[in-house]
Amino acid sequence: MDLTRVLQIIFTGLIIGGIYALIAVGLNLIYGTMRLLNIAHGELIMVGAYVTYWLYMLYGVSPLLSMVLVVGLSAIIGLLVCFFIFLPIIRSSKSITVLESNSLLVFFGLSFIFTNVASLLWTADIRGYSYMTRVIHIAGVPLMYNRLLALGVALFVCLACYFLLQKTMLGKAIRALIQDREASQLVGINANFIYLISFCAAFGMAGLAGCLLSMFYEITPFMGLPYTIIAFIVIVLGGLGNILGSLLGGFLLGLLETIGVSVTSPGLRPILSYSVFILIILIRPKGIFGRGVY
Amino acid sequence: MGKERRLIGAIGLILLFLCLLPLMASDYHVSVFLDLMMWIALTESWIILSGYTGYISLGHSAFFGLGAYLMAITWTHIPYGLGVILAGLLSTAFAFAIGFPFLRVRGPYFVILTLGLTEFTKFLFINLEIKLGGTVGRILMMTPGLHTLYYSILVVTAIATITAYFVKNSRFGTGLFSIKEDEDAANAMGINTSLYKWLAFGISASFPGMVGAILALRRSYIDPYTVFSPIVSFQVIVMAFVGGLEDVEGAVVGAVILTLISEALWARYPYTYMIILGIVMIFIVKFMPLGLVFPIKRRILMRRKGKDR
Amino acid sequence: MSLLEGFQVSKNFGGLKALYDVDFAVEQGEIVGLIGANGAGKTTLFNVISGVYGPSSGHIRFKGENITRLKPHQICQKGLGRTFQVVKPFLNMTVLRNVSVGKLFGRDRLRHRKDAERDAQQILEFVGLSEKADIPAKELTLAHRKRLEIARALATNPELLLLDEVLAGLTPTETDEAMVLIREIRESLGVTVLMVEHVMKAVIGVSGRIFVLHYGEKIAEGTPQEIAENPTVIEAYLGERIEL
Repeated sequence: MDLTRVLQIIFTGLIIGGIYALIAVGLNLIYGTMRLLNIAHGELIMVGAYVTYWLYMLYGVSPLLSMVLVVGLSAIIGLLVCFFIFLPIIRSSKSITVLESNSLLVFFGLSFIFTNVASLLWTADIRGYSYMTRVIHIAGVPLMYNRLLALGVALFVCLACYFLLQKTMLGKAIRALIQDREASQLVGINANFIYLISFCAAFGMAGLAGCLLSMFYEITPFMGLPYTIIAFIVIVLGGLGNILGSLLGGFLLGLLETIGVSVTSPGLRPILSYSVFILIILIRPKGIFGRGVY
Repeated sequence: MGKERRLIGAIGLILLFLCLLPLMASDYHVSVFLDLMMWIALTESWIILSGYTGYISLGHSAFFGLGAYLMAITWTHIPYGLGVILAGLLSTAFAFAIGFPFLRVRGPYFVILTLGLTEFTKFLFINLEIKLGGTVGRILMMTPGLHTLYYSILVVTAIATITAYFVKNSRFGTGLFSIKEDEDAANAMGINTSLYKWLAFGISASFPGMVGAILALRRSYIDPYTVFSPIVSFQVIVMAFVGGLEDVEGAVVGAVILTLISEALWARYPYTYMIILGIVMIFIVKFMPLGLVFPIKRRILMRRKGKDR
Repeated sequence: MSLLEGFQVSKNFGGLKALYDVDFAVEQGEIVGLIGANGAGKTTLFNVISGVYGPSSGHIRFKGENITRLKPHQICQKGLGRTFQVVKPFLNMTVLRNVSVGKLFGRDRLRHRKDAERDAQQILEFVGLSEKADIPAKELTLAHRKRLEIARALATNPELLLLDEVLAGLTPTETDEAMVLIREIRESLGVTVLMVEHVMKAVIGVSGRIFVLHYGEKIAEGTPQEIAENPTVIEAYLGERIEL
């Protein structure tokens, strides 16, 4: 295997890894602050992809501009979902396990609503468009501008997110809530506000990921779930609630997946990812998932 | 005593009606009732594990698909009835095989674990089909007539409902409910929770296997995307929640309501139907987590107590 | 042969030594108190004894039999019952049904609900919850929930009962009533009791023997009198001498 091929695999891995990191950080934010598993996360990616697609195809809006619009739109969806659906559920839940299981079902319902609204509005046909497809050669490896753009944006947003968490007061509050919900409320942190922020940020990042993906991958109403699964793998391996872990884990998983697929076959990708998914839940590290009293 | 006799009488009448239906009604109506009973069977069997122990499973589709594939593979090689029974046995065996590690996972993690299982099985079969035959999808020829399939489903549904009822009122059922209330306390009370969950899982899995087998013959065509679809699991969950997770009658109520809605919508507006399902799911979880049947039963009980006074 | 014995029981959680080389013995017919500051390892010891998790080293014998590797439901079958510090009633079941679960799955292993409920009624009378029999457990006050917890454990027909802070959160009157109940458990039912407690008046008033855990180690053992006067115990836990 020559160097060009190796480098190509690495670049591809990093590019897709950037997307994974973007998605995983968002999922981890919601999990870390609210202990909710957002199984509908992938659907936001799908929404972002479609919005970008239609804006480009119908009105010629450049995806660069759409990025901002999509983030805004997704964040608003997150706000509404959190405020109208989950804040009331958190308020009225008697036990944590009931809350977590029921919330999961609510997310599942949302996922169904999203995919079917998309199918209804835009049919289940596969769509795609071309944008920034000029190729640049880096170290002998041909890369399209759109993918480099995706990597750049993903990296930038993830790092920005990380620095926001580390350096700002809001970020500190979020980290405090992730560590200990009760204690942080005792010191005056407004949990509900943090929940809303987390939802908005997470949904926004997912929407952005969808916008980036739409530039070079195909778009269908059902494209979301595989990304949710991968994001979930990332956050478990990187550490639930550990944002930096999701960031690094996303890139790492992107690399591993690309390497794995290149030595086997693309058709095996779903099987591999679901096998890993099942295994990590079964062999979960102790203390991360444990719901026993002790 | 009078109450029980009336109940048995009512059930007998319903069964009689269902048995005689094919002789009186058109194929369309028989079809509708076949579908309805299929969902009742799936939901009744689902609540045996998920309703009674609280381990919400999205894996019913996996057993359904497994049963369908077993039938597709063995069709014309073995008698039809044997195929259905084997499908049930295979599903149970599969459930028993994965049961112990799977059921150690609790709460929402169990839910997504079973989702992962269904998706994994789907892609496994897709890849196997491509490797073995090149095409993804199988056609079954010369399948039994509608009436045969109808009576088969009737039998499976009756067994499923009776099983759900007897489990609920048995010592085993009390153990399952204790697990749902507090698994650690249940263990401390002497309940072998691992064993009980495992048994419930296996019993519950046999029915979607058999239903899947029968349905494969009904549609004459199966492929992994449809038989392993999470839509099957999701509909079952909504039906169970609407009716009431612990209520045997609830499963029937939920199935009837959803079948009515789907009859109205599915043919022309399938996406709208799914959207409504999603909305119903969210609505029920938020506002009526106990389902429809239990509050009604409680109100009737209260009123009766009031009369006695 | 002691009813319950622990030999060099140790338990580590990662780097944390929750229990270190704890030896203890409980004789038939005793009421033994287990005291210590929060985090001293008392509930950990209970969990090890009742099989929630195994010790990192050491072993436990019950009636001469090694029960270290047994699961909680098996240990219940052997005759060792327990309550939980944070009570765990079956909230959506009636009080009677809660207790009958113990009858169905405990040492008696009754087959039929009617028999279980009949026997459960007797237990309810014993703990004083008879009038609450048909009330859902979630409607009980904390004091009554604690009694339900005890009733349920008694329903499993234990020879030894582990009580984990059953007096926490009770008013003085409720505490006195509970103390009477604990004594009755030994007197009328012949059940040996090992109780974790913080309420010193109760431990001293009810126990025949006490042992003290401190940072996972047993630092003292003896009669209430001896413990109250033990300088190590006073320094580590009591703070000052208690007048008996």
